Amino acid sequence: MSTAALEPKTEKTFRKVAIYGKGGIGKSTTTQNTVAALAEMGRKVMVVGCDPKADSTRLLLGGLAQKTVLDSLREEGEDLELEDIMKEGFRNTLCTESGGPEPGVGCAGRGIITSINMLEQLGAYEEEQDLDYAFYDVLGDVVCGGFAMPIREGKAQEIYIVVSGEMMAMYAANNICKGIVKFAEAGGVRLGGLICNSRNVDREADLINELARKLGTQMIHFVPRNNDVQRAEIKRQTVIDWNPECEQADEYRALAKAIDENEMFVVPTPLEIEELESLLIEFGMFN
Amino acid sequence: MSPESASIEALKEEMTAIYPKKVAKKRNDQIMINEVGEEDAVPEIKANTRTAPGIITQRGCCYAGCKGVVLGPTRDIVNLVHGPIGCSFYAWLTRRNQTRPPSEESENFMNYMFSTDLQDDEIIFGGEKKLAEAIREVYDIFQPKAIGVFSTCPVGLIGDDVHAVSRQMSEELGINIFGFSCEGYKGVSQSAGHHIANNQLFKHVIGNGQEVPEGEFKINLLGEYNIGGDAFVLEDIFERCGITLLSTFSGNSSIAQFESSHHADLNLVMCHRSINYIAEMIEEKYGTPWFKVNFIGAEGTAKSLRKIAEYFDDDGLRERVETVIAEEMAKVEAAQKVYRPKLEGKTAMLFVGGSRAHHYQDLFSEIGMETISAGYEFAHRDDYEGRKVLPNIKMDADSRNIEELTVSKDPEGYREDRAEYKKAKEDEGFEFSDYKGMMPEMKDGTLVIDDISEHETELLLKRLKPDIFCAGIKEKYGVQKFGIPCKQLHSYDYGGPYAGFAGAINFYEDIDRMVNASVWKHLKAPWAG
Amino acid sequence: MTLLRHTFDEIKPRKALTVNSAKTCQPVGAMYAALGIHRCLPHSHGSQGCCSYHRSALTRHYKEPVMAATSSFTEGASVFGGQANLLKGIETIFQVYDPDVVAVHTTCLSETIGDDIPQIVSKCNDKGFIPEGKLVIHCNTPSYVGSHVTGFANMVTGMVKYLSTSTETEATRYNVIPGWVEPSDMRELKRLMGVLGLDTILFPDTSDVLDCELDGERDFYPDGGTTIEDLRATGDSAATFALGAWASKPAGEELESKCGVPTKHLDLPIGLRATDRFIDAVRTTAGIEVPTELTKERGRLVDVMSDMHQYLHGKRVALVGDPDQLVALSEFCADLDMRPVYIVSGTPGKAFEHDVLERLEERIPEVKIANGANADMFLLHQWIKQEPVDMIIGNTYCKYICRDENIPLIRHGFPILDRVGHSLFPTVGYMGAMRLLEKILDAVMTKQDLESDEEKVELVM
Repeated sequence: MSTAALEPKTEKTFRKVAIYGKGGIGKSTTTQNTVAALAEMGRKVMVVGCDPKADSTRLLLGGLAQKTVLDSLREEGEDLELEDIMKEGFRNTLCTESGGPEPGVGCAGRGIITSINMLEQLGAYEEEQDLDYAFYDVLGDVVCGGFAMPIREGKAQEIYIVVSGEMMAMYAANNICKGIVKFAEAGGVRLGGLICNSRNVDREADLINELARKLGTQMIHFVPRNNDVQRAEIKRQTVIDWNPECEQADEYRALAKAIDENEMFVVPTPLEIEELESLLIEFGMFN
Repeated sequence: MSPESASIEALKEEMTAIYPKKVAKKRNDQIMINEVGEEDAVPEIKANTRTAPGIITQRGCCYAGCKGVVLGPTRDIVNLVHGPIGCSFYAWLTRRNQTRPPSEESENFMNYMFSTDLQDDEIIFGGEKKLAEAIREVYDIFQPKAIGVFSTCPVGLIGDDVHAVSRQMSEELGINIFGFSCEGYKGVSQSAGHHIANNQLFKHVIGNGQEVPEGEFKINLLGEYNIGGDAFVLEDIFERCGITLLSTFSGNSSIAQFESSHHADLNLVMCHRSINYIAEMIEEKYGTPWFKVNFIGAEGTAKSLRKIAEYFDDDGLRERVETVIAEEMAKVEAAQKVYRPKLEGKTAMLFVGGSRAHHYQDLFSEIGMETISAGYEFAHRDDYEGRKVLPNIKMDADSRNIEELTVSKDPEGYREDRAEYKKAKEDEGFEFSDYKGMMPEMKDGTLVIDDISEHETELLLKRLKPDIFCAGIKEKYGVQKFGIPCKQLHSYDYGGPYAGFAGAINFYEDIDRMVNASVWKHLKAPWAG
Repeated sequence: MTLLRHTFDEIKPRKALTVNSAKTCQPVGAMYAALGIHRCLPHSHGSQGCCSYHRSALTRHYKEPVMAATSSFTEGASVFGGQANLLKGIETIFQVYDPDVVAVHTTCLSETIGDDIPQIVSKCNDKGFIPEGKLVIHCNTPSYVGSHVTGFANMVTGMVKYLSTSTETEATRYNVIPGWVEPSDMRELKRLMGVLGLDTILFPDTSDVLDCELDGERDFYPDGGTTIEDLRATGDSAATFALGAWASKPAGEELESKCGVPTKHLDLPIGLRATDRFIDAVRTTAGIEVPTELTKERGRLVDVMSDMHQYLHGKRVALVGDPDQLVALSEFCADLDMRPVYIVSGTPGKAFEHDVLERLEERIPEVKIANGANADMFLLHQWIKQEPVDMIIGNTYCKYICRDENIPLIRHGFPILDRVGHSLFPTVGYMGAMRLLEKILDAVMTKQDLESDEEKVELVM
């Protein structure tokens, strides 16, 4: 299998990016703010929400309810058109939500497989869409095969893991890396870095930098905790939309730029559980 | 070691040599050279374990055993399959279970296929609503007495609760509706499905009939599925002997017969593999004893009838049984005179099911044919080695996930008198609740192969060149390409009945027709070298 | 006694219940298609029962050995994913059965778990389970999507995705994608292309795989099937003729977009006009003359059609089966001035009704068409109870309706479990149309001979 890293962005390329991370870590918020920043830079971005809760595009759409791919599929059947399931949001970002069942019934994983297949069939990824980026915002844990759909061969080639200095978030990040290794062996998917969404843990940046180093990757950006994010969310907006002048907007711009210019794509080297624990002890979390 | 057994040993080695190491090791324990010792001791065979992926196997799935085998032959239960369309489609009329509704007005759903035809979005969002609606539609259109709901692989995976929906709908509609968790991935073969079917029939159906049926010498025939009309032949014999057949599980059956089956004095077990659970559970709950019979083969039929007469210990019955045997054996012997000379010394191999590969050896020996190799598709060790090994069978992960019902004496229905009668009979030396298995009755040096693969089948045919091979539809034409006839013993090749005396004669005829067919002499073109 | 005694003319609405279905599930189609590759072993990635049922169904229809392996999922595999099973399976298959190619198709179980076949296959490669020069291809066939026909189409498309390659070679050959037809039909299509003088790659090709000789020796892999070399070369062909919108169009489109081979999408050439369109498309595309031999063959069909018109015109026909066959058959029936009044397929797809109506050219205003969800043989039977027909053209399951209603059955489609002939004699092309006519006429006239009044029994017809 070729291990060559992806070509850095020189001319027009279409990058497919998946964002993973522990549930509640702020994936959707981080994704939408980053996407807003990329859109501001003039990039054409599509966001595919892969969470049955269908809340991955709310801020980009200004709170507008998006009809999910699966709901539309149920209602329209095969007459479904791309317009039915794709809405334009902040600065022409294209927003779709795969949707899925309520908790406790059916199979959410299968839902993701079906909706991504449907988007492909409808031509969402084709050249005429003129996309620079597709972002997959995936449910907390890769609980079954369906949640790995976005990183199957030919789908997302690069993954960013949203993490914080909290122990469980790091465990989750490490587990996700195990999943990436499996798919990296078969296809071209690579880890692009860790995004630290700060929870104000002591020495958080150092800790995540160290974790990244051990995983063979980088901390691509440290997003500080800032209540402006919540203020914007109450208005159903990204911070970039809500107040382009605020400090936090610049943080997401920096993250977007780092992703846009990223050249470091690796097959991660997940840690043994003991190794992870000793890292936490070293940084004073297991006192 | 005799030259013969050396060559069998070599054949076994040849069979396993090609497999990856782990597969070879496993197959080595599933291919046995038979050797019958004292007290019917036989070598331990590995059975009822997983088929290695990639092996071309005869086996099917749990659902096939549950819906296809056990429930399929009952005419007045609507069998609704909850899953994608294929599961129901393939089990639609493909097993040749015949049925004879008593009148034009009686229900008969056997020629119908019912499915919820699950679609992608129902897998994603859950299929329980569709199932409930489908049950309502079945009721509106067909008004059946009962509905059985069968779960399939994806349904088990997404967690649709067929039992809960069945219960709710049963309350709503006021008819008996019960579910089967017989997802295809359960167990290692059809066998798991038999067990699940037995459990649910026992829980939801058997014992519901309060009225005690009329009749003398009341029996149930368990494990007879009326392929090609076998059950009809046996019904006729019982009637002539004055034995009252309350129910057959499940050939030519109705749900009312199942419901009252616990009133029987005796249970007869034909296919031990698929139905011994019900026999055991009925005995525990109602005190009805059971023993193994074999109505395949004229000798076996006569022996089984005599054992029934002996059990009831009634002179009139004994006399009628002897009259029937005498009448029938005269015809059988006349037929044997015709066919034996044409078939004497020919060889057969039987690889099928969980009891037929044993039972049919008797029929072959009645026409002078020798069984040189045999094995089951989905049997357990007790079907090979006898029930005496039951305490020694280790539970593995695949068996553990099949429910074992805990059954206790029914406070009202338990018949102490039957249990006492059984005890007295046992003291006289009468054998109950036993099955001796296939291997003790096979010759030393024969190859016994569990879950035979396509590769092993081919080697058997090439090296031992039997005159006839018995298996199922998937094997049939591959075998015949070698110029060796293949008799289907699941479906009988559109023949039958083969049970009882009349069936035996049919079988002799069919084997003669196949083994001695003219076409086998013309396989090569006259100009072929 | 009636066989389908619970079927009445009153149609109660159904949303959830299918009774006596007019389709089966995707994997069996993928398995049949894969058998049309030379030295290919189909592999069913799911529970054992799927593979067993599909092999049984195909064996009963073709009356030939149908070899396929399975991942033999147990409960463990369905929880932890099927990777371990497929790895072991592929290792064992190449070691024991030595195929040139393994064609994996998924099932409802492995699809719901979300197994990623290319990822697992690449793992097989890493582990050295796939010998040098051997191949594993795959397609996705969740059983709760489409039908056996779309499963067939998916595997054929998979062949293109994995194998078709365009090189700089000069385009001299022509591809024919025959769709799910009998081995006899595939043989006939190759003959027709031969008569037209064209070097043809027909794929898949089950002739000499599922209609093999019996000579006392068994080839585990029979002589037939499209070779890997030919499948690769499909990318270099001058054009593709994809026969049937359901079974062949997706592969034709894939080949066109992947390798730039122009594709003509045509109906299955069953009947006069569909065969005419096929031959004419080949003629104009390849820029050739149609040999007199073939024109005369056509003429013989027209001759028989005119001779038999008096017996067939006005006969009401029910058609049930697969969309590609039904589209062509409905046109042929109408061209015989018969009345194809009921047309039912379990295979979903909104284009079906439109396609049939277009072929019928407003000649059958009373036609009733149903396909997809709840379009089943129970519904067809209810329509027949409401207003009878003179014959049914469909698979073996129709015989239960036919016996109850005393209607002749002309067996066509899948599965045919109770007769021989379908796999041996074609129904495509002009010759095939003549055979169909012979069968239709025989069925109708036999009934008349058996049932007409004494004085009306005629020697000469």
